[in-house]
Order: sequence, then structure tokens, then C-alpha cells
Amino acid sequence: MTQLDARIWLAEHGDYLFRVARRQLHSDEEAEDAVQETLLAALAAHERYTGSSSPRTWLTGILKHKIVDLIRRNVREVEIPRDEEGEEAVDALFKRDGHWAEPLRPWGNPQTEAELSQLRRVLDDCADRLKPVMAQVFSLREVAGMETEDICKELGITPTNCWVLLHRARLFLRECLELNGFSGGALS
Amino acid sequence: MRWMPTCREATELASREMDERLSLIDHLGLKMHLAICRNCRRFTVQLEEMRRLFRIETGGDDDAPGLDPEARRRIESELHRKLDA
Repeated sequence: MTQLDARIWLAEHGDYLFRVARRQLHSDEEAEDAVQETLLAALAAHERYTGSSSPRTWLTGILKHKIVDLIRRNVREVEIPRDEEGEEAVDALFKRDGHWAEPLRPWGNPQTEAELSQLRRVLDDCADRLKPVMAQVFSLREVAGMETEDICKELGITPTNCWVLLHRARLFLRECLELNGFSGGALS
Repeated sequence: MRWMPTCREATELASREMDERLSLIDHLGLKMHLAICRNCRRFTVQLEEMRRLFRIETGGDDDAPGLDPEARRRIESELHRKLDA
């Protein structure tokens, strides 16, 4: 391990790691912190890197842990909303009899990297618009792949509260994606 | 919950099923609802799609902004500091 290796990691994988982190953390500063902590941890643990996976895969694995740590830290700092909050926004999506207020349009099937890239951009914007606690519960679940049981413990909330937050996060994300030209075949 | 969930209830069940096993009654209720409701079928497909798009393994290679030069310099000097220590 030389100074050169760490600089090469930063040069070759810095942008990649930053984009991955930025998509999950919703702020440039935190994404930068995550990249820095990842490279420092990699530096400290380089003996354990066997070369069986590519440096990028290895670094991404470390980054994932750092991202989860940061999300957890954030989650403890935000206030968990009461159950009723957000209920009105859900009400707006459904009729009183429980049917969808608007029919759902099918999403396109983006294949090219350019299409996927544009789609992720919309997705990121929408995720940034979720209430912090919703975004974080959603990230812990979808990014970190944590079980809801563990998320509940982490946040000190009931499983029901957790499901409610995830359900709303998913409804709002879906709605936001559709409003932003996500539907109807090609992205408009 | 009645024997047949409404769309609103079905979205709750479909969301929960992304995270854990539903009770048999809830599972069957959801299945029955999906059999007759195109909107909710679309919703479940879109849930899977969102999960796929959010996976950490995707999305580092696109043209979103990367590290800005200032941030890169800060990280670089932090690495130097660590190596010199």
C-alpha cells in the first residue's frame, strides 16, 4: 500500500463513489463525507483486500456501510411524524371509496444507459422531495436492504409505523415519477 | 379488512409484501384484488421497478455530477494527512 494507491482510487473511482453516495444521501456534503470515510477505511484495511474482486467493487462494499451509518445517524436526528401526518396526502390519491383517484399509466421500459440515467435523475429529485424520515426509512430498506424489524429497532418505532412510512414513501415516489414524465413509454 | 381489499388497502398490502410475508388471508385478499384490478397490478410492477432502480449497485456510471474539484482536493489532503501520520 502506497500513497499512490489511495490517490489512484480517488482518481479512478472518486466520481463513481460520489454518485452512488449522492443518490442515497440527498446532500453533496454527506456524499463527500461518505467518499472520504470510504477511502480512509480502505486505506486502513488494505491488507484485507485480497484482489479477488475489483477495487471498485471492494470500495463500493465499504461505501455501502458508510452510507448506512450516515443514514442511521440522520434518522436519529429527525423527528418521527405522528401517524396522521401525511394521511391527507394519501387521501388525495384515492377516492373516498378506496379506488384510485386517477388511473395508473404503465411505465416505459428504459433500456439505453442514457434513458436509465435520465430516469435516475428524476428518481433522485423525487426522493429528495420526500419528508426526511420517509426518505431515510426508504433508504434503510431499499439501499441497505435492512429488514423492517431492524429498522423499527433502530428508530424505536412500531412495525405498523414503519409499514405506514414505507407505504407512503412508495406512493409518493410513484406519484412524483408519474408527474415528471415517467410514464407512457419513452421518457418525455 | 373485508374479504376483498379496496385499491387503497391493496397498495398497503402490496407495499408490505415487499418487506415481509403476509398472513394467508392478507395474501389471498391481495391476490384476488390484483386479479381484477389493472391499476393495482401496475402499482405492484412499479414497486418492483423502483426497488430495482434504487439498488446501490446501479447508478454510479451515469452522467450525474461527480466530485467537484474542491471536494476532490479536500479528500486528497485528508488522505495525505492520514498517510503522513
